[in-house]
Amino acid sequence: MSRFKLKARTSRHLEALVFIAPWVIGFLLFMAFPLGFSLYMSLHKVTVLPTGLKYDYQGLKYFTEILFGSSAFYDNLLPFFQEIIIMVPVIIVFSLFIAIMLNQDFPGRLVFRVVFFLPIIFTSGYVLTEFVNQGEGTLGFLERFSIGEYLIQFLGDSSWAKPVMDVLNRFVLVLWYSGVQILIFLAGRQTISKSSYESARIDGASPWEVFWKITLPAMSPFILLNLIYTVVDMFTFPYNPVIELINTGNYGYNSALAWIYFVVIALFLSVIMLLFLRLNRQARSR
Amino acid sequence: MGKINIAKFKAPPLKKRIMQNGLQTFRYAILGREVNRGLLFKIFIYWILIVTSYIYLNPILKMLVKMVMNEKDLNDPTVTWIPHEIYLGHLKTAWAALQYLESLFVSIGISTIVAVFHVISCGLMGYALARMQFPFKKLLTFLLIMTFIIPPQVIILPMIIMYTKLGLQGNLFSLILPSLFGFGIKGALFVIIFRQFYTTQPKELEEAAKIDGASSFKFYWKVMFPLAKPAILVVSLFSFVWTWNDTYYPRMFLGQSPLVPLATQMSRVDASITSMIGNEETALVLVEAIKMSASFLALLPPLLIFFFAQRYFVESVERTGLVE
Repeated sequence: MSRFKLKARTSRHLEALVFIAPWVIGFLLFMAFPLGFSLYMSLHKVTVLPTGLKYDYQGLKYFTEILFGSSAFYDNLLPFFQEIIIMVPVIIVFSLFIAIMLNQDFPGRLVFRVVFFLPIIFTSGYVLTEFVNQGEGTLGFLERFSIGEYLIQFLGDSSWAKPVMDVLNRFVLVLWYSGVQILIFLAGRQTISKSSYESARIDGASPWEVFWKITLPAMSPFILLNLIYTVVDMFTFPYNPVIELINTGNYGYNSALAWIYFVVIALFLSVIMLLFLRLNRQARSR
Repeated sequence: MGKINIAKFKAPPLKKRIMQNGLQTFRYAILGREVNRGLLFKIFIYWILIVTSYIYLNPILKMLVKMVMNEKDLNDPTVTWIPHEIYLGHLKTAWAALQYLESLFVSIGISTIVAVFHVISCGLMGYALARMQFPFKKLLTFLLIMTFIIPPQVIILPMIIMYTKLGLQGNLFSLILPSLFGFGIKGALFVIIFRQFYTTQPKELEEAAKIDGASSFKFYWKVMFPLAKPAILVVSLFSFVWTWNDTYYPRMFLGQSPLVPLATQMSRVDASITSMIGNEETALVLVEAIKMSASFLALLPPLLIFFFAQRYFVESVERTGLVE
């Protein structure tokens, strides 16, 4: 009996193996091996010889060089970080807002849905960079009311002035990044049952209260998902300034740079997750 | 919605009541019985949505208009939206510069194959993670999430070296190969979408299959996979469009090879257009118009697909249960 059970379990595991095998092979080929190899390269001086590549071990030299040797890394990374810190909340709030709007019942909402999904097709492309270069990224009213100048006065010489202005100049672009996020929020909004809204209404809750007490808590997992998605998307966007530093020139140096970059992303994401979980717990316990 | 009027038993005089009722209907019409039902709220929604849609559509409309303006209109500051005539010369130039038919063929081929591979391989992994028991399941889930957040830049150099060793560097096949195993552009995200979908399906399905004695592989293809239409649609559309638009991997893997996807060809076109026009005074405006035409040509196929698929697409996203 027990032998039969054991056999059944092994056969079930074997069946599962058929399903996971492709991904596991892919992981080894396209993730584990390149990761390990790039770590290896980051510790070596790689020289390209006509016969192939030559590796000379040199320890953490590249890492110390990037982190302490010059300020180039920080000069590129810090403004980018500041921009992300400004952009991510804007994207999240905007897409949540739009998703709630699109979820209302009104004639013509299908047309608007189509419009708001357009960015999914556009954002990932080269076209977007074209638009930025054309100066289509600015909002007309910012210039009309010279909001930028006020902001510069307000922020003074602080290191935040430039990133804030950069984000404002590309504000439309920031909104354009919200395609997938709107989609996720829309899908998430569908998971809240109608009955909880009805009972809140019968209890005489105002829509404002309904939003804070029902919609927002129920949406919190989606907000976390969107936070992670947005941050990952921003960090892996091929045209961001830090990634531009990573090119095919010096193999060892670039591998070290890429690894540092990765660690920074991982840290940033875990900070976000911790903050979010803590906020969520506080909101729950209240 | 019939609300119980508790104050009813202390009925006010009839005339006053009628007046009150009238006032209330009026108020309901404007403000709504609940805030989100009234006229004011509707106007507010429309206003917000129209303004934001304008922001969204503005660059696209500009693109469409600039594309068909002739040289005179482009240099005329009074012409902003309506050109005097529809001029197709820029489109022709862009068509030639993009080597449109070849690039289009490459793009369609690669994006379709990648989308199909992604649906198959990510579907298998997603199903296993959602429904099957196997050792190291937690570890694999963790690795999947790691895969999602690892920037492609960390692994790009070793992959180039690996492809060079395999003789695939510069070959279009190098763009397809990772998707066969559920990797490539945002592969991890697709696995997660499938996983989410399969977790929402009723458990009874598998139990019935077990009694029938079907193997899980056969059961997956015959029952679960056909059920997953919403997830398949979402994943294939995302995969198709993202592969279509990607210029990073082609730039890294294909280098200077002559046959590249449209988006990559477009980023190359910059230089070639400038050399085609020469250094005339008006060249800059013309280059812009030609670039707009090129963008339009490069985006046209995914746009068409999107317009046909969007109705099912929205529905499907809602039904995938993206996260629960």
